[in-house]
Amino acid sequence: MSTSENSYSEAEALNLLAQLERILDLDPLIDEVGFIHPSQLATLKEEIGNSLSSEDKDHESTSFWIRDHKLGISTQILIPVYKAAKHAFISALRQYKTPGNFSGKSQDDTVAIEVMIHSKALLLLSCDFATAWNSRKLIVSNKQLLPILMDELRLSAVVLSHSPKSEQAWSHRRWVINMISRNCSTLQWIIERESELVEKIAEVLNELKQSRNWSGLHVADNSCFHYHRRLMIWNLEGFCHIQDNNSSGYFVETYQVWKEELDWNESLIKRYVGREALWLHRRFLSLYLIKHIATHLLGVSCQSKPKASVDIDIDSLMDHELCLVHSCSTTIPDANFEDFQAQAIHSAAYMLWLTKQIPEYQGINIQEKLQAGAGDLMRMLKRSCPDRSSLWDYLVGYHSEP
Amino acid sequence: MGELAADKHVKYIISVEKKKDSFESVVMEHLRLNGAYWGLTTLDILGKLDAVDEEDVISWILKCQDESGGFAGNIGHDPHVLYTLSAVQVLALFDKVDILDADKVSNYIVGLQNEDGSFSGDIWGEVDTRFSYIAICCLSILQRLDKINVDKAVEYIVSCKNLDGGFGCTPGGESHSGQIFCCVGALAIAGALHHVDKDLLGWWLCERQVKSGGLNGRPEKLPDVCYSWWVLSSLIMIDRVHWINKDKLVKFILDCQDMENGGISDRPDDAVDVFHTYFGVAGLSLLEYPGLKPIDPAYALPVDVVNRIFFSKK
Repeated sequence: MSTSENSYSEAEALNLLAQLERILDLDPLIDEVGFIHPSQLATLKEEIGNSLSSEDKDHESTSFWIRDHKLGISTQILIPVYKAAKHAFISALRQYKTPGNFSGKSQDDTVAIEVMIHSKALLLLSCDFATAWNSRKLIVSNKQLLPILMDELRLSAVVLSHSPKSEQAWSHRRWVINMISRNCSTLQWIIERESELVEKIAEVLNELKQSRNWSGLHVADNSCFHYHRRLMIWNLEGFCHIQDNNSSGYFVETYQVWKEELDWNESLIKRYVGREALWLHRRFLSLYLIKHIATHLLGVSCQSKPKASVDIDIDSLMDHELCLVHSCSTTIPDANFEDFQAQAIHSAAYMLWLTKQIPEYQGINIQEKLQAGAGDLMRMLKRSCPDRSSLWDYLVGYHSEP
Repeated sequence: MGELAADKHVKYIISVEKKKDSFESVVMEHLRLNGAYWGLTTLDILGKLDAVDEEDVISWILKCQDESGGFAGNIGHDPHVLYTLSAVQVLALFDKVDILDADKVSNYIVGLQNEDGSFSGDIWGEVDTRFSYIAICCLSILQRLDKINVDKAVEYIVSCKNLDGGFGCTPGGESHSGQIFCCVGALAIAGALHHVDKDLLGWWLCERQVKSGGLNGRPEKLPDVCYSWWVLSSLIMIDRVHWINKDKLVKFILDCQDMENGGISDRPDDAVDVFHTYFGVAGLSLLEYPGLKPIDPAYALPVDVVNRIFFSKK
């Protein structure tokens, strides 16, 4: 930071604040704000050359640049204008909060408007200044009008354009959306309960399909797979409410959704070698599917209904998984390719994880099947992933238990 | 690899405290109390808490207290549990927790517990398991834990447990190391760690260690020194720290130091800050790096400070 910002007097700083607030007022549709080095700002000004508006000509501002609803602020003035904004904001807020300082509603509104203007400028400069967000919540909750709430969404969006990780901006957004939904609760009564549930399930499946397209392009994004898991669980629970848990129809439908997800996951695993998030997602899918089938089989045997027409058994499922893991963990064509090594490690860890999580009631068959291959996987893991050798040793002990 | 440049880090922290005129530090002034906690706890771990003026610090902290009993991040700002915990923790470092009206501060926190057992951060209602940890930790230090519904608080935290054994910020939220630390720490302090599947969570946590030896916050992410605290302390609390390679982690943290100017950054060769300096040093303390005061993994305060709170008072 150059020291030239120290050379701004209080009057100059106030002037800069006034300029900024005027710009914000003149263009309520600003959707992006950024901080620009003075030299870059000068270049931008030259580029637009003679197309300065009359206001700009008056002020000949070297501190701001605005075009197509994008606002640039010179880094040189950040500190003075921040200090001026903060000072103006705090004084307006103090006035707003002090009871009896004004005699009528119109004065109340005037002070509120001051708070809103100054907090907006302040938040564009210092987006995590929570007290400023709070003051807006305070004023907005006294009004609770939809256009005002929409303005809050617009402001937070602008802030997020340059500070996408701003926790305060996201938090403010959540609060606003909450306020909006509270005031629009009558809409919910329009939807009939019965069809609502079916709609929800259809939406979940649709969302799952659409989400697969996106996640197929973002295979390292763990969050998107977490979202998938939530959709899958909702799908299970949704069907639960429509049909009897033990009916074949319910079972077949849910089984198919899960099998599809597993197949899709497998295709990604084969295409994108060594992606951790894919294998972690598979842990969840396999475990749940196995538990789901086991529960169904138990239910079926208790009620002596005809078995589902789809021929599903855990054995063949596990065989398939073992095959997949085997193909991933033994072919390491070139040890220099990190991806293949990662694939081997992830697939082996996946199988061991699954083995540990499958409850014992699945039957001794599976345990034996898994233990047969576990030794090789363990050895490979100890070799290629020695950092976790304590974990592998612990699992050895676990597996050798009768 | 080298060593811990302790003296450089002490100088760095003191300089940060004084330098308040860069834009970067100016836009952080709303969380200065957190910064005080990070800086001062680091100094204490390094055995140099006396490098600051205790009176100065304490009188400033008291000015940050709001009439609600909660503390703000700086003078004149709104109160929030985040800063309330930092205030109490810093006072604990100086063994001055008793200058507070413990009931007043506790009432602020108690008032933020919701019906489902969760905690809001402030009057505006944002819920997050971080706030559950803060509430439980803070009230425990003030010895007022019985003022909240602990069972309900635990119930809410458990409802945030995911299928991978981890915890998110709200029910259904993705597992994240920071949130996991908060949930495990809260459960530990509340005596409810039996709700944690230690093998399952330990597995997820040890998979945070990447090739470089550093730890990340969740799958597919880059390692960051701050996770040396959150992942590490969680592993220690559930007794699975032997599942990671501790030596490699030590090396990673040491590589994140700025050996010339002091301070630690999120990963090697990045710019340093007080936040990562604290987590790096605290992580090294958990790893029993020589010359550092031991730190409590749940309270995130030096062990002697915690002992002083619970064993020397009546």
